[in-house]
Order: sequence, then structure tokens, then C-alpha cells
Amino acid sequence: MTSQQERSRSWSGASDGEADTTRERREGDGRAVEPAITVEGLTKQFGDGDDSVTAVDDISFTVESGSVVGLLGPNGAGKTTTIKCLLGMILPDAGSVQVAGVDVLADPRAAYRHVDAMLEGARNDYWRLTVRENLRYFATIGGVNPDDVADRHDTLLEQLDLADEADTAVRDLSRGMKQKVSLASVLATDADVVFLDEPTLGLDVESSLTLRSELRRIVAERGLTALVTSHDMDVIEDVCDRVVIVNDGEIVADDAVDGLLGGTDPGGFRIESPDLQGSALAALRDGFEVREVQERGDRTTVEVGTDSEGFYDLVDVLRTHGVHISSVETVASDLESAFLEVTRE
Amino acid sequence: MSDATDRPRRASVVDLTLAVLKREYLIFVRYPADAIGGIVVSTLFFALLFYGGQAFAAQALADSIEGLVVGYFLWTLSVGAYSSVSNDIGSEVQWGTLERHFMTPFGFAPVALAKGVAKVVRSFVTSGVILAIMLLVTGTTLQVPIVTVVIVAGLSILSVLGLGFAAGGLSVLYKRIGSWLGLLQFVFPVLIAAPAFDLGATRYLPLAQGSSLLQRAMLEGTRLWEFPPMELATLLAVAVVYVGGGYAVFHYATRRARRLGVLGDY
Repeated sequence: MTSQQERSRSWSGASDGEADTTRERREGDGRAVEPAITVEGLTKQFGDGDDSVTAVDDISFTVESGSVVGLLGPNGAGKTTTIKCLLGMILPDAGSVQVAGVDVLADPRAAYRHVDAMLEGARNDYWRLTVRENLRYFATIGGVNPDDVADRHDTLLEQLDLADEADTAVRDLSRGMKQKVSLASVLATDADVVFLDEPTLGLDVESSLTLRSELRRIVAERGLTALVTSHDMDVIEDVCDRVVIVNDGEIVADDAVDGLLGGTDPGGFRIESPDLQGSALAALRDGFEVREVQERGDRTTVEVGTDSEGFYDLVDVLRTHGVHISSVETVASDLESAFLEVTRE
Repeated sequence: MSDATDRPRRASVVDLTLAVLKREYLIFVRYPADAIGGIVVSTLFFALLFYGGQAFAAQALADSIEGLVVGYFLWTLSVGAYSSVSNDIGSEVQWGTLERHFMTPFGFAPVALAKGVAKVVRSFVTSGVILAIMLLVTGTTLQVPIVTVVIVAGLSILSVLGLGFAAGGLSVLYKRIGSWLGLLQFVFPVLIAAPAFDLGATRYLPLAQGSSLLQRAMLEGTRLWEFPPMELATLLAVAVVYVGGGYAVFHYATRRARRLGVLGDY
């Protein structure tokens, strides 16, 4: 099984802040490997005149074959429009989209041989049919002879722990199981590129963790390329190699997950001291991002957002104000903080 | 990506048709309440017409009962065909499955057509049951040359299927007009009754020519090959033009919905 780290290495983007979306990945013999998804200059505006809204504004990026990329953005940022443009469900005003080397806008039918999508969470299949009937039906709709993928369906049902429910109507399953059936029916076709919109939406913590690990495993085993959207940053951090963040219709960040998290650099420091009051605290607020202040007995704990370089300045300020430090902890960056930081800029 | 040689065989149009027919069959047998409910309502409505007619115009009804039965049979078929595409699209949007039928190598319109045809087959079954009940209730005897009836009725309702396609396309664009479009099915009795008067140019409207031929087949026992070729050609041409026109409207409306970004919205 390919690990997430191994998959991470196959990604072409740089991890030093700015991803190079034009760099090509190459095979061992030097041949360029075609990206699974290539988006160039994608633009979509809704409405006319003063009421018009530019939902997607000249977006370009590539997704390498076999990688899992998260597409993030606040509500109304243009994620859904972007995904629907990539799937040919919305016709863009400008730009091009290629999936598996096929121009989606010029030849959508050919592209759909390579693509499937889970756009409606658990509402992605027929609840009145059984699990297996759904897999066969959507395999056929996806252009695959269902008899030829019957074995694959059995494997999929085993992997997603659905084998015992194969002949149960979907409506009789729990929410978590329905979500798994949705995922299974997307993977039941011969698609090598899958779009997963909020794949864990509405699931409890345990079901979400299970689905994430199964998704990672299946994607790696089958060498699939996946574009995932989710508001749950843990899902993105757990499943994706790389993240593209959109805001106001534009890409504001495109980096490996580790790159967004700042690599090994901490996201901040938590300092405990009996002297963190008055002018010392005011000086910290003036010079740094003070995230949290907690007073417990005679001690105060302050969480300051800064990197390793800023730590030395922080210590200088504390020394200047005669603060005796009881303890210092590093605070690891998380994707949610990185996301908020990027989208606020 | 998988190697091309590892790829499973592609599904054919036959596979697609079988898949949608099988789904229709499974829903039909697994959840018969919907179908039985439709049969009961249609039968009750016919009984109201029949017994009401007997009470107020017994002789007139007796003179035209066979025509009424055939016309009602064609009407139930037509309503099933008309609502098949437009209702189906509305349901798929609500179920969240519409996009999956859009993202198909077969194309959205061909898949919608296959699903419409599956609904027409289902309509034939339920309308056949209604026909049998009507014959029992009225004590009427009709000729049912199966091949002729299926072909003539099938071509007749293809024209209505075309209207259903156009309505389905419009409901992709404008989500809330389904109930207004549904009113069109109440025009069908007028078209079905057109042969009772002078067909004239109405023969080029949906159902009218088919109703005329079906009446002759079921009342007089006329077989398919006994109809004048021009009349059959008109029936065929009307079916092709309306299905083709409806298909084109559906295709255009879908493209417009993609342009506006409203495909699959509800």
C-alpha cells in the first residue's frame, strides 16, 4: 500500500510556500507524466452589469495523477462553481479544463469515462435499490459493463465493510453506511479521477475516521486521483497531499499540506508566568498576535502566534519587562489556522 | 491510471436500456403501492365517467362506450409518457442523483430518453391492467391485435414523450414550473377525441392520428398492414418530429442550464 507520504512525494508542487503548478512530473525515463486534471484560466461570471458576480476568476492549477488534492474555501468562495466547471456541469465564460487528457468542455462524454463524483453526500444513489443494485446501475451509467466489474464491486463492499448489507435497500441503512454506499457507487465505475464534495458531512467522529482511512487506502491501492472539498480541516489534513485554497473566486494558496502548516515551524508559543500582567501584557499585544490569555491563580498563560524567528523578539520583550518565565510550550500549526490566515489576507 | 488493456468492457446502449428497465421493474415490484394507487385512481375516474354517463345519457354512452374505453386507454398511456421525463427529472433532483445521470459517457439526453422509454413500458403494463378492468366494468368487447396496438399506441405516445422531453428540459431550467406543465395533460383528451370530428390538420398534432388508427384497430379489427401507407407515414412522421423536437428542446435547455449554472439546483 502506498503511504500518504509516498503519495506526497509524487506531487509536483513546491512545498516552500508557492506551488509551481506548471512544473511537470516525469517518469524515470524522463517522459513527462500528464496531469490528471489541468485547469487553465477558468473564469465564470453570473449575471450581467452591476448585478454580476464573478464566481471564478482566472483560476489555473494542475492535479498530478495519483494525488489527492483538497479544494478549500469559505462559503461563496467559488469552490462549487469550480468543481461544477471541472465536471462540465457549468459552462465557464473562459478557460479550459482537461481531465485525463480529455477536454471536458469540448468532449464531455469522453471525459466522463474517466470521472465520477460524489456531490450530494449520502444522497448520491437510489435509496430504494439495494447496495449492490446501486453499484451495478451506476457502473452502467458510468459506461462500464457491470458484469466486468462485479469482482471489483465485491472487493469494494468488503473494503467499505458493506458486504453484509449488499442486498439491503439503502434506505434501511444508517447515515454512515449510506455515505459509504455513495462512495462505493462512485468507485464502482472505471473512473480514475474522482471528485468528492464533503465526503464525511454529517458523520459522527468514528464514522468519519473510518471513512477517511478507507478512502485513503482505496485511493492509494487503485492509484486514483481525487479532488476533495470539505469544511472539516481534519479530513483534508488526513486525506490530502496538497491543498488549493480559493477565496473570492481566486486561488489564494496552493501548497502541500505540510507547506501550509509551515513545515516544522511552530504556529506559536504558550508562555506561563506570574508576571504576565499590565505593561508586559500590553507590550505583547502591541508587538505580537496574542491569541489567548488565561489566568489561573497567580499565574497567567498567554498564547502568542509567531514563528521561530519571532520567538527571539518575544523573549526580548519579556526580558525588557522583567517577566520570569515559568514554562514555554510550542503550539503546533493546524490547517484550520493556516486556512483562516490565508483567507483573511 | 489503469492500463487501457485492464479496462473492463464498455457498457453498450443495450446495457443502459436493460439497467434502466431493471431499475424500473425493481421499483415497480418492490414498491407496488405507487403503481396500484395509480391504477385505482384511474379506474375510479373511469367508473365516475361510465356510471355518471349511464345516469345522464345512457343511450349516447352505449353508442360510444367502445370509443370511450379506447380513448381512455390511450389517455392513461399518454399521461404516463408525458410525465415520465419531466417528473423523473424533478425526482432525480430531489434524490440528488441527477448529476450522476449527467456525468455519463452516454450523454444526458440519451439516458433521459432511455429512462423515459422505461417509464413508457411501465405505462403499458398499468394501462393494460386499466384496460382490462374497463372492459370488465362496461361488459364491452374489443379486439386487441397486440402487434398493431403496441405499434400504433407506441408511436402515438412517442409524440407525447417528445412533449414530455420539452417539459423536462424546461423544468431543468425553471424548477418550479412542473405543476403548470402538468396541466398540459388535460389537453390530451381533446387531441384523442379529434378523430370523432374531422381530423383535418389536427392529425399533425400529437395523439390525434394515433387515436384514429387505434380506434379502428380495436373497434374494427384493422391490422397494421391494412392501414393506408400515408396514414401510417403520418403517424410515424408525427412521432419522429415531436420526439426530435422535444429532444432538441431538452438538449438546448440543458445547455442553457449549464450556462446559467442551475443544473441540478432545486
